[in-house]
Amino acid sequence: MQLDKSDLQEALRILSAEAGVFVPSVVEGVSRFALWDGESSIDLSRVNTELPPKDILFPQTEKMYSYKMGKNIEIKEIIDNPKQVVFGIRPCDVKSIGCMDKVFLEKTYVDSFYAGKRENLTVISVGCTQTDRTCFCDSMGLSPSDAPGADVMMNDTGDTFVVEAYTDKGKQVMEAWKPLLKKGGKKPAAPECTLKVKMSPEISVKLSKMFEHPIWEEVSRPCIGCATCTYVCPTCYCFDMNSDNHSSEGTKFRCWDSCMFSDYSRMAGGHNPRPGKKERVRNRYMHKLSYFNERYETSLCAGCGRCADKCPAHMDITAFIDRVAEEEMENA
Amino acid sequence: MNDTLEIKREAQLRETARRLLEDGTVGYIIGWGTTRFEDKTAPLFAAKPEEADRLVWNEYCINSLAKYSLDDKYPEKKIGICVRGCDSRAVNRLVNDKQIERENLFLIGMPCSGKENSVCEGCSHKNPVVYDILIGEPVEENTEEKASAERFREIEEFEKMSPDERYEFWAKQYDKCIRCYACRNICPACSCKECYADQYMVGWQGKQNNRAESQVYGLTRAYHVGDRCIECGECERVCPMGLPIMRQTKKMLKDINDLFGNYECGVESERAPVLGEYDLTDRDEFM
Repeated sequence: MQLDKSDLQEALRILSAEAGVFVPSVVEGVSRFALWDGESSIDLSRVNTELPPKDILFPQTEKMYSYKMGKNIEIKEIIDNPKQVVFGIRPCDVKSIGCMDKVFLEKTYVDSFYAGKRENLTVISVGCTQTDRTCFCDSMGLSPSDAPGADVMMNDTGDTFVVEAYTDKGKQVMEAWKPLLKKGGKKPAAPECTLKVKMSPEISVKLSKMFEHPIWEEVSRPCIGCATCTYVCPTCYCFDMNSDNHSSEGTKFRCWDSCMFSDYSRMAGGHNPRPGKKERVRNRYMHKLSYFNERYETSLCAGCGRCADKCPAHMDITAFIDRVAEEEMENA
Repeated sequence: MNDTLEIKREAQLRETARRLLEDGTVGYIIGWGTTRFEDKTAPLFAAKPEEADRLVWNEYCINSLAKYSLDDKYPEKKIGICVRGCDSRAVNRLVNDKQIERENLFLIGMPCSGKENSVCEGCSHKNPVVYDILIGEPVEENTEEKASAERFREIEEFEKMSPDERYEFWAKQYDKCIRCYACRNICPACSCKECYADQYMVGWQGKQNNRAESQVYGLTRAYHVGDRCIECGECERVCPMGLPIMRQTKKMLKDINDLFGNYECGVESERAPVLGEYDLTDRDEFM
């Protein structure tokens, strides 16, 4: 099916009657996913937003429960799972949601805060018509024009979008859009990432044997220990829990945390098993490219390129992967 | 930028670096090296003479380097650092703050006619203010008129806004802040062994991300850097959300200049920060 671009506003209006619709937008100069108010512009001109869409499911600060102390202790759960739609999300970011699903919903523990939001979220992906110089999703096994994890997949053909439903949630969207959709439409050929990275399953295995390798000392040296890479990363999901207390009442919240911070791994007694940048950079790269693969059989990097684009020290995970690929190993 | 002159300077830099590594004057040299993108360089740490040729010198050598010396406070041999004007002021900053020993450093002076970085416009110290060896000839400095006109131009505009407008401006800026702390970590004036913001058990700084907490962070950082800002602009360059952070310290520097006379930080190696010393003749009508 296809949707005329001139009908896009109407299509979003239909969805926004039932749910909050997030669209790629520029807010105070920052490109990010923002709640569409019916008029604000939808910015599909960028390949990727500067900030990833992960905060829709995993807010930077999320209140969990509030409490009041006194004779009668009062504890109130805070549940905030509105119906939401994210429109215009690129295939790499869809894959990232898939990674977060694995963490928060699969194996042993189901995170109810994430689960509630995830269940109420519909994902409408728009494929890329071009790629940025830091894009390398097709080296990570993805396609810039197809997001298997989306509910609806749309691709830009110039005047129209070719629209396909991949799930039941997607079919409901198509149903709501019925008056606007026309038959036909041919999916355009996928653009190719210009940046090719030598990622392969062997890299993950190789890395698992490189914990004590001298490479970490070298690659970590430019790192300044900020959280830019982890906070612009669509898959970094680490959080901390803390309280916001006011006299005899307060709120328990969780908020993003970063393995690049020194206090992230600091233990109660003051000991820090990851005392310096070598250990922290190693942890991040290992987590992205090896540990996660071991546990979930996919890598925790989708190839969106945000970290390489934003790193203050111009560190680059793609250069690191290629470096590992070229590393000669004994017994590898 | 005079290309031939700068290409020559790069060759001289490599030659000097090789010699310094060969004769053991330095243990390693911190400079700039290539990345896969032509318009980006990254800090490079050259430890072997043959690595000297990986050093580059071009309009994309932007990252400040001096603070990397804090990773190695007790080096076996001297640390070689390439210093432009701003880097040399950062070295003075760190030495004055008793963070590093000057004799542990070997400063390779790089006269700099400006980089692909807006902060370089109106730079007041294109040539390093302190160095052990200078690579090539010094470059011509901006005239004092140009440098001083440029220095507080943005602040003068900003001061025209009413306090309410300014509050609104910063509130919107701090709504964007993701508290990655890149501005703190890159800053040569931010050298506390443990930042107040990381002392989470004490709880000065709430970890939640909201306007209030981010404003507390912004204000505390600005006042803490205060009169020790060397105006390198790195805080603003690294901010992934594009906050015009340098306006805060620049505003303070402008007030300091108005109150205490001409003051630039990190230019002299021994001068105490103006707010850190007390003199009976200091103006105090604001008290």
